[in-house]
Amino acid sequence: MLEPLLGSTNRERVLMYLCLRKEGYAREIARFWKTDLDPIQRQLERLELGGLLISRTAGRMRFYEFNPRFPFLRELLALLEKTFLFYPEEDRSRLAMDRRRPRRRGKPL
Amino acid sequence: MSLVELAAFISTHLRRKGIEVVLSGGSCVAVYSAGQYVSMDLDLINRYQVKRSLLRSAMAGIGFSEQNRYYKHPEAAILVEFPAGPLAIGEEPVASVEEISTSCGVLKLLTPTDCVKDRLAAFYHWDDRQGLEQAVLVAKMNKVSLAEVERWSVVEGKAEEFKQFTGALSAPD
Repeated sequence: MLEPLLGSTNRERVLMYLCLRKEGYAREIARFWKTDLDPIQRQLERLELGGLLISRTAGRMRFYEFNPRFPFLRELLALLEKTFLFYPEEDRSRLAMDRRRPRRRGKPL
Repeated sequence: MSLVELAAFISTHLRRKGIEVVLSGGSCVAVYSAGQYVSMDLDLINRYQVKRSLLRSAMAGIGFSEQNRYYKHPEAAILVEFPAGPLAIGEEPVASVEEISTSCGVLKLLTPTDCVKDRLAAFYHWDDRQGLEQAVLVAKMNKVSLAEVERWSVVEGKAEEFKQFTGALSAPD
């Protein structure tokens, strides 16, 4: 939806994912959008280089989140939140639904 | 060549190539603490987001090569980084910058007050205790507008954390 503005569908996917989920790593984001890993990884690196995102490593994974010191963060999030309202219902429910609470290993569903 | 002279030399060279940079981060603290804080890298904010390819070729002109986002010179121990602009502290653009003239050129850097805000931003958003210590060091050794730092802290939603800063500032050494 913001592709004409951002110049890339994958950039929008990364930003929207982080806006809703607060943090994420490349494989998780690519899997969520059912897309290739490489372009997502490239966008994450570019956005970090541009100062929009920051990252930290945990084990072998690199987690990304918005840089709280990015001067246009509030405005960017407002734009993304408005854009989210125009997403298809299915994407909106999937993005909004995020199981982060712990699940005991081996627990049956 | 001192840290300030090296930064001034690089800045002046880049300015001639149409690239505007401003010293920020820990190296700014090193300048304002008269060497009490030592920094081994220069954070030069790429103020108007000039393309990295232009930056790379301009730096190559003075013998620096890029390695994993940092620039190195074979004869200097200092690493140079160009964080992306715009020049801002938190949500606000930087209104004015300081200038230091040296025999190697002119260095533009954050004012002492903005340097304190910059270090406090690291403390406020990332809970970086070193950022708090650096802010205190700069505020003790330079003329800093605490009223301005407080106003900015409130805008950032960090009025409570500002009290921690003033508490640390008034604590005996």
